Amino acid sequence: MKRRTTFLCLIATLAMIALLPLGAVQADGHCEFANYTITIGGLAPLSAPGAVAGGVAMDWAFNQAADDINADCGVQIDGVNYQIDVVTGDSEGSPERGQAVTERLIQEDEVDAMVGVYHSAVGLATMGMLEANAIPTVFSEPWNDNVSANGIREFDGAPPRFEDGIDHIFRISPASSMVGSVIVDWLLSLGVDDVVLIVENTDYGQPAAADEAARFEAGGATVSKIDVELGTEDFVPILSRIQARAEAPDVIRILVTGETSFNLTQQMAELGIAPSDDTICVTNQFAFQSDQYWATVPDGNFCAFNRVGIIPSLFSDAAVELNAKYEEAWGDIIPSFAMASYDAVHIVADAMERAGSYSDAAAIVAAIEATDIDLSQGRYYFEYGAHNPELPEGTPAFMWHQWPDPIVTVMQYYEPGQSGLDAAVIYPEVYQTHGTAYIAPGTSP
Amino acid sequence: MVIHDTVFVIWLLAAGPLWAAIGLFLLPSVNQGRAESEQISITTLQIAGVIGGFALGPVGVGLFYFEPALIRRTTLTAGVAITVFVSSQVLARIVDPNLPSGLWLLLAGPLWAAVAAFILPRQYRAVEANDQNVLTAAALGGFAIGPIIIGLMWKHTPKISRDWMIVLGSLGAWQIYTLFAIHNTTNPCVASPYHITYLTQQTANGVVIGAIYSLMAVGLTLIYSVQGIVSFAHGQLYMVGGYFSFYFLLHGSNILSDITGAEISINPIWGIPVAAIIVFVMGAVFERIFLKPMHEGLIERVSEYAILITFGFGFFIEYTTLAIAGPFPQRTDRFIEIRRFTLQRAQITDDFAFGPINIIGDRAFAMVVGIILIFALLYFLQRTWTGRALRATSQDRQAAAVTGINPTNMNTLSFGMGSMLAAMSGAALIPIFAWVPWVGAEMVGRSYVIVVLGGLGSVPGALLGGVIVGIVEALGAGCHPDPSRGAAYKEAFALVIFALVLLLKPTGLFGREQT
Amino acid sequence: MAILNRIESAIDESIGRRRLGYALLGLIILFFLWFPNDASQSNYAKTVFISGFFYAIMSSSWALLAGIAGQFSFGHMAFMGIGAYVAGLVARDGIVFASLGIGITAESFSAIGTIIIGTLIAGLVGLVIGWLLLRLRSAYLALFTIAFSELFRIMMLTEYDYTGGSNGLSLRPLLQIADIDAARQVEYYLMFALLIVCLLAMYWVANSPIGLFLRAMREDEDAASALGVNVVRYKILVFVFTSMIVGLAGAIFYSDVGSERIIPEQLEVLQMSLIIAYAVIGGMESLIGAAAGAFISRYLLEAMREVVISLPLGLTLPDGSDAFVWETGAWRFAVFGVVMVFTLRYMRNGLLYPIITWFSGRDLAMQETVAKRDDDDDLDEQAGASDE
Repeated sequence: MKRRTTFLCLIATLAMIALLPLGAVQADGHCEFANYTITIGGLAPLSAPGAVAGGVAMDWAFNQAADDINADCGVQIDGVNYQIDVVTGDSEGSPERGQAVTERLIQEDEVDAMVGVYHSAVGLATMGMLEANAIPTVFSEPWNDNVSANGIREFDGAPPRFEDGIDHIFRISPASSMVGSVIVDWLLSLGVDDVVLIVENTDYGQPAAADEAARFEAGGATVSKIDVELGTEDFVPILSRIQARAEAPDVIRILVTGETSFNLTQQMAELGIAPSDDTICVTNQFAFQSDQYWATVPDGNFCAFNRVGIIPSLFSDAAVELNAKYEEAWGDIIPSFAMASYDAVHIVADAMERAGSYSDAAAIVAAIEATDIDLSQGRYYFEYGAHNPELPEGTPAFMWHQWPDPIVTVMQYYEPGQSGLDAAVIYPEVYQTHGTAYIAPGTSP
Repeated sequence: MVIHDTVFVIWLLAAGPLWAAIGLFLLPSVNQGRAESEQISITTLQIAGVIGGFALGPVGVGLFYFEPALIRRTTLTAGVAITVFVSSQVLARIVDPNLPSGLWLLLAGPLWAAVAAFILPRQYRAVEANDQNVLTAAALGGFAIGPIIIGLMWKHTPKISRDWMIVLGSLGAWQIYTLFAIHNTTNPCVASPYHITYLTQQTANGVVIGAIYSLMAVGLTLIYSVQGIVSFAHGQLYMVGGYFSFYFLLHGSNILSDITGAEISINPIWGIPVAAIIVFVMGAVFERIFLKPMHEGLIERVSEYAILITFGFGFFIEYTTLAIAGPFPQRTDRFIEIRRFTLQRAQITDDFAFGPINIIGDRAFAMVVGIILIFALLYFLQRTWTGRALRATSQDRQAAAVTGINPTNMNTLSFGMGSMLAAMSGAALIPIFAWVPWVGAEMVGRSYVIVVLGGLGSVPGALLGGVIVGIVEALGAGCHPDPSRGAAYKEAFALVIFALVLLLKPTGLFGREQT
Repeated sequence: MAILNRIESAIDESIGRRRLGYALLGLIILFFLWFPNDASQSNYAKTVFISGFFYAIMSSSWALLAGIAGQFSFGHMAFMGIGAYVAGLVARDGIVFASLGIGITAESFSAIGTIIIGTLIAGLVGLVIGWLLLRLRSAYLALFTIAFSELFRIMMLTEYDYTGGSNGLSLRPLLQIADIDAARQVEYYLMFALLIVCLLAMYWVANSPIGLFLRAMREDEDAASALGVNVVRYKILVFVFTSMIVGLAGAIFYSDVGSERIIPEQLEVLQMSLIIAYAVIGGMESLIGAAAGAFISRYLLEAMREVVISLPLGLTLPDGSDAFVWETGAWRFAVFGVVMVFTLRYMRNGLLYPIITWFSGRDLAMQETVAKRDDDDDLDEQAGASDE
């Protein structure tokens, strides 16, 4: 009898979980809204094995953008105000899952447009489906070169075109070649010729490493590459191996993300390998979130790091306000992909207003191509698209439907515990804040 | 699927053993009558079958099948021929600086190990000799000295002592190292004059981190010795121990700062006892509710139940922590303000210098903490009444119960203490590694390797196993011939050892022998 | 309860429980057959069902291996991966002996050919591993298979020149149908047919004398051996059999039926633990229970993403809220863990067990034997036996 009771309790619990109604929250307001709510699909990794920390920040940005737009009376089309709602699907960082969720967003949630994607593999896997269903899409974080270039089915000097004449995918994050070229140009200008790349075994790390290695070698530097698995904690054996080299390398470039990169950077500092007088250390954009960085790399590791997105000294009012909201919610500086994700929703809403429709994909795409709007990351526009289909000789294919101006800079801390907002911008020269291209460890500019 | 040279060569090599096996079974069985009339023992026939088959393939088997009288002379000749053939092959390969072809030598070791491990125990059983440890010795010997071990161990059944195994093991290690020295001259492990320093540095890295690994593994082994189960929640208890320490230090520092008005930060060492107490209670409560019924006979097939229930417990802890603490990496302050201890470079002769050797300060501190805690545990187990009661329960439950020990309480105590040790190592490592809710997965895999290597249920075994695993990982990543892959395979090195130990000597180094 | 009892006896007298059970089973199968023809269902719903079928195969074959044969393996996902990866490698490179310059080019293999090779290799590796594992029991076996599958995953991830690393490996598409809707329809029926075939094959094994031997071995290996059961042969047999089933399922699922590429993340311990949890919740000793467990658990886990529980508290908290709001999305795996642990403790045979036994009319007889067996068991002896 005891067993049966327990069983019944369990069944009842399960049934309750399955049957509980969704708690719907309706925003009130000073605006008159139409009955229809414009739905935008978001795609971000919200659970393992995806990069959860990145995904939740993107999800936050999508919803913040929707709230801000709704507070401003939503999307105005033909004098009617439409509320906007972002439904975020969990890609789990897997292409298979990303495809399934995209299909759900398109078919069940009937989204009018899509934003998002953190992992390039997910972006590449979902593009075909987005095209087939004619969903206007603005990607805000995948870096793989092919993400926008893949939209061109025939490209061999001839103007890119689709059978039905339009291509629905846009991107406002940089292509990884754009990031790689800035880092490599900077390092080559400092005269380095012995580079160690520490690379994570993922769809982000490997292509980025291949690209940077090719650029370094073209610039006459020798490159050695070390693969690591994400989730490794103890890097001391492999760092000792670097230390045992006859000559210390000029640069250690870290193409590893998340807590794995923090462990690596911290252990490099503890062993005194880099940054040091001989060796420059370059890590990635994750170092910009200074609270998290200094909490996990407490030893004042003044690595340089690449930063994508607008530099703090050029933050517009919109960016400052957004950053304040993010800091309130998460207690850290806003990462660039959250900013880009926030802007992506705005770009879509803006295009819908100008197209005069939330459902006419062709009109919305045309409107996005004609985008000219100032948002948190700066002025957005798309140079090449159906409105300007001729890519000049030598322009890489990924420039199609690509925001040409994501600012890629190299930044560096020079005081322990410094805020990312105060860190020095050291390259490219036009953005330099402290008039120097490298701050030697232990010195102050 | 491209099958590369190496694989193909191995396949060719395996063809010899294949015919040897055929010869081994074919000759004695079919030829018995004639052999007896010519006074040839079965063993000789078997040896002839093996050697003939290996050297000459089907020809050899056929020859001896029809003319057993040829066996003695041919065996001798063939033996010499094979020795020369093999050694010339070896030499040819050694002079050839081409790594891929050198690689097969490395792989031939495992092949011979497999052959010996397959054949010898059967032979021992056939002649009804004591076959304890024969598998381990055969595999080690096959690896170290190739086919010779089969001959050596075939007829005589030497007493396979630990010394034997150490000799064979070191011979095998020496071979690997020599191969490296010959084929991978730029490898820092062999490239003179730095290699002594480098090897010392890597060994030191391994010892330091290995001692910390041990602490966690000791908990696992303690639970096993008393309850006979492997806790699959151990990694998550380790993780959650780190988080308890983190939140205690965070809130504790804030509260103290509020009270005193000054900026106060608590040293992370105080997080260790706090995490220990909380997780001890967690483990004990879990044991009372879910594991106790198992010992009362309420559950069928206990060993599988134990795996699943602890596994589910770990699953629950991990995702609850993720929901509460979030996916962002955390870390506490340092234990000590010294970044690293350095042994300075010393010029010993004109062309030989030793040093520098670097050890990260916090790790050295955590290692000391870990060793102190392990010795405290050993003291508890050896010298206190409760500790002795625990050990008595682990040796013989019924007898312990007769002497007035309550086995149920001992079960709860062992699971609580085992969980506590995991939490303590978590609290000792959160100042060293960035902490996320899935941090336990990698660590617990390593603990399983350690306890199996040391022998499930043995505390000293876990201590030694931890250090060995630490060293193997450090040397593996440090000496892997392809510097770009070494780090990616770091975890894999330990897993290979693990698989080998499970297959060859499941009782590990210090495990209780089977009865 | 009186009414329930009356209904129960009415059923017993009229059509009988067993027949009612078969009728219900038939209805469920009819539902699955009809489902894709329902015009109101989107392609997404079919996708969910396709992967549901795949996981149902995975967890029911694990139930055969672990629940019925008592071989507690964590390597199930790895064998699935072997099937898929081998099929993908053959489809890309063919089978070539580099040193001899001979071989079969990739073009000579059809998609079905690659799948068959993948399945055979999975079975072959299963044979070797199964043979190696003979000596190991329970905890040791679990640990060894964890090590094996982790090694396999790390190799697939690190040797990216051959395996594509974390970008994954594409297999040759099995179906080449241009129209998305039609393709999804065919994929659905293909995967469903595979599930039915696998279940039938596994039922056949489980109910044949082999199945009896397996159960006997699970309960007491030495006794079974003494009674003349060839323990070695049946242990290896069941290992090879389940390896081939999952290898086949993996090779087909990733041949663009459920997914267009296999990635190493799919082989992580988390994925394997989900399979185990599905089987535990559905019932480890019942193949159909485990399959249904996978299907239902996946549905509930998905559903929980969206659920927000809001309980009015009747007072206003300092932060201005007056209700306890719980978004279950972040907690769904934690809840899943709790369900799993409680199922194990209180419903050892899975949550669906009472329903299945009721229909088969065996519950009374079963309870008696279980009670009897419990009395006979000497726990310490069992714990001791697992040390070997």
